[in-house]
Amino acid sequence: MENSFKKILSLVAVAAFALSASTVRADDTVKVGILHSLSGTMAISETSLRDVLLFTFDEINASGGVLGKMIEPVEADGASDWPTFAEKAEELLAKDEASAVFGCWTSVSRKFVLPVFEKYNGLLFYPVQYEGEEESPNIFYTAEAVGQQAIPAVDYLLEEGYTKFYLIGTDYVYPQTTNIVLFEYLLSKGIPVENIGGGIRYEGDVAVSAGNYTPFGHTDFQQIVAEIKDFAASGDACVVNTINGDANVPFFKEIAASGLTSDDCPIVSFSLSEDEFRGLPTKDLVGHLGCWTYFMSIDSPANDSFKAKFQDWLATDAPAAVAKEGRVTCSPMVLSYNGVYLWKAAVEKAGTFDTDAVIAALESGISFDGPGGTVTTQKNHHLTKSVYIGETLEDGQFEILEVMPDVYGEPWLKGTF
Amino acid sequence: MIPHFSFLGCSGKSTVKHWICLLITAAILTSAASARDARTVMAELMQAERAEQAGLIEELSTYGDTIIADIYEAWRTGGIYLLEQDGGSQLLQFTDAQEWALVHNGAVISLSEAEAAAAKKQRPARALRKQMKRIIDTLGLKADNTALRIDSAIKLGRSQKAEFIPALEARLKVETDKQVRSALQEALAISWLANGEDAQVVEAVQTLKALNSVAARAFLEELMQAEGDNERVDSSLSDACAEALISIERHMKQQEFFGSFFRGFSTGSVLLIVSFGLAITFGLMGVINMAHGEFVAIGGYVTFLVQNFFIQTWGLSSSAFGWYFIVALPVSFIVAAVIGLIMEVSIIRFLYRRPLESLLCTWGISMVMQQGFRLIFGAANVQVNNPTWLMGNLSFAGFQMSYTRLLIILIALVVVALTWLLLRQTNLGLHIRAVMQNRHMASSLGVPVARVNRMTFALGCGLAALGGAVLSQIGNVGPSMGQAYIVDSFMVVVTGSVGNLLGAGLSAMGIGMVDQLLQPSLGPVMGKITVFVVIILFLQWRPGGLFPTLSRSLDD
Repeated sequence: MENSFKKILSLVAVAAFALSASTVRADDTVKVGILHSLSGTMAISETSLRDVLLFTFDEINASGGVLGKMIEPVEADGASDWPTFAEKAEELLAKDEASAVFGCWTSVSRKFVLPVFEKYNGLLFYPVQYEGEEESPNIFYTAEAVGQQAIPAVDYLLEEGYTKFYLIGTDYVYPQTTNIVLFEYLLSKGIPVENIGGGIRYEGDVAVSAGNYTPFGHTDFQQIVAEIKDFAASGDACVVNTINGDANVPFFKEIAASGLTSDDCPIVSFSLSEDEFRGLPTKDLVGHLGCWTYFMSIDSPANDSFKAKFQDWLATDAPAAVAKEGRVTCSPMVLSYNGVYLWKAAVEKAGTFDTDAVIAALESGISFDGPGGTVTTQKNHHLTKSVYIGETLEDGQFEILEVMPDVYGEPWLKGTF
Repeated sequence: MIPHFSFLGCSGKSTVKHWICLLITAAILTSAASARDARTVMAELMQAERAEQAGLIEELSTYGDTIIADIYEAWRTGGIYLLEQDGGSQLLQFTDAQEWALVHNGAVISLSEAEAAAAKKQRPARALRKQMKRIIDTLGLKADNTALRIDSAIKLGRSQKAEFIPALEARLKVETDKQVRSALQEALAISWLANGEDAQVVEAVQTLKALNSVAARAFLEELMQAEGDNERVDSSLSDACAEALISIERHMKQQEFFGSFFRGFSTGSVLLIVSFGLAITFGLMGVINMAHGEFVAIGGYVTFLVQNFFIQTWGLSSSAFGWYFIVALPVSFIVAAVIGLIMEVSIIRFLYRRPLESLLCTWGISMVMQQGFRLIFGAANVQVNNPTWLMGNLSFAGFQMSYTRLLIILIALVVVALTWLLLRQTNLGLHIRAVMQNRHMASSLGVPVARVNRMTFALGCGLAALGGAVLSQIGNVGPSMGQAYIVDSFMVVVTGSVGNLLGAGLSAMGIGMVDQLLQPSLGPVMGKITVFVVIILFLQWRPGGLFPTLSRSLDD
């Protein structure tokens, strides 16, 4: 009896709190940073993450905030410019004293803000699939490491009986590192060097680069597609695609025109999620594969409720700057969402917003039942989570082909196979 | 059982016709019988448990009916629905003619809206698809379309399975088409490599050498490796393999060269088509038009709008949809020309002879236009689908040319030809040339200079948009699409000599060719850098470009 009385009391308190939320004083709030590109070339992708973060903060505030404090988001625009990212990070940490920052998309932006976070002892949650080979004490990588995306995808293709792999990507750190790890992994699985296409560059005896690379925004894929066609001529070949951004459109159009189908030679892409499909001719992509730790098509109560709440928020509470039409959910969005809840759980476990205490709580292993299944933090600042392999459908969704539950997040893979 | 009328192409309503149809159907019932049976098995397969599937697939492989391929294709692409009713469930196919047909006999039935909404989309499992593909492949050997037969033969050969050899041999006996015959021979030879006696294998190697089979390369290498491991005394087989491989390599090098040549031509055409408008506005008129890229983007967006209009009016799968691209070409030209006209009247006409101001001003306009695209169409790229008739490719002497690329080359040629005719053979063209050479002199001779300027600028903008419409078929349509091509466009015009359309054409082709010929050895990144370096060196040597204008004027 007394227990339920307490419950009611606390509910009333929470309700009163929520009502007074509009007039809270500064010491009743906790500042949290959003550090994404809201302008420039990366804005297309990163704006979606800003949106989902705002939604998550509203959701948490509506249920009482964190340690009784309302979250007060501070938006910083990295403007797709890496030095700007570093400046804004410094501003968030030094001037706004943000308890935690959620942000960055490209690996290069993360590399730029890393020293800033270490200098000010800040806390960054990084939500986008990346190449690994990094473990900062001040960053939590809710992102997919190579072992949670590229390797499971290749495992799946090996199981399906594919024996020839063509590697292609955009020329920067994520594709280069991922492909060199994949190259080592494929060799360890007994795939001969001549069955790995795209070209391998050696320095001495050590392979330093594997695969074919194009500049950002490349438009002419004729030569590469002709090469893939020759490569696939003797069958059982597939393509591992780490091309980033809209260069995927001319690539897939050229593939479709060349007559290579997903049955002859499937292409598994690591940078194309539901959100990117909004601007792609999905007809050219049907049957090709994707690998993420979340798909919008996951059939679970947690995901259904997440999707419904997000759409509700878009329809009612979202600020005017947020696009409302045709919105989808995708892996980087859900990993941002998970990051906020993991931070909340860690703060509550530590009982304080102090960075060192929160990091210690996160390192002790905190679980959250997210839309993509349960995720658990690890001592090495990565997450254990489920990996899904899906096939593209004509409506820009994925049909899930295989689930690999509880894959450990390991950033240091280079040279381990 | 109800005969399948539409299968005979006579689904008319008149009763007489109806009866004739029925008679004909009855007459060929023997041939139709297998169609119905194959349909039944397909229907069973769709609802079978995993364990039963293998048996049904085995049974399917005994039929040679192309209806299997049709139904399977529908199944794979989401055209098969399951309708569960009180009286049992029915499998339905939503046909291209927007009708519902029963899978097990092909009869067309009508569904109420509620029933249509309740029907659930069916999809084959990936494992099943792989097995089905094999059956579809042997069906392909009997297809009417030669391309399908070739495709099917290649796939069967590649599998190196002994079970396909009889089917391939049987087909080779009756096949008359030369290309299909060579594909069948290649497939058989590759199969024999894995399944034959020693003598047969050597013979197969020789056949493959004679056919210059690219597909056989990996198999031959494998075979040679295996021979090397066995360390046999008699090395005739590995010698034959090595010889065949050398011959095939040589053939591939040749193909690669011709392929690069074609691709260079096609890249050149793309460059030409996006820069030809600039060759007029910048080259002829002297307006440094930084907004040129945005006019290219207008072409892309107009194509997108025309496409959406066609989808809304006729639907995505209708035959009318395929025409949207043809309609989009003139529409995008006209829309951009009108916008260009407005821009000339309101801004550009004050800026002739003031190149620096025109550069700054048009740059500003380009930013305004980009932001405008973002406001209207959103920051993300928009989807433009290719019409069905543009998908696929033409095989010629062993290398393939996609229809989109061929069309681009064709359009580039037509654009050049029409512009040449306009400038050389019409009155307007005469005026344009006169005005561009000397505005004041032309004006004093009675040429309506203001009007000619307007028309010329509109023409240049229209041509830019035409380029954008074409690009929508091979690349992105988005707010910053023009930025990707503006540098290339200026490069083409400057290299080809400002003011010379023929020069622009030749430089576009030259740059495209150099780019594609360098790419195989240097890769896309280094290839592009090398092209830029080559152009810089070229301009050092000939600052005026390919065809510098000779002039007595002191200004030039």
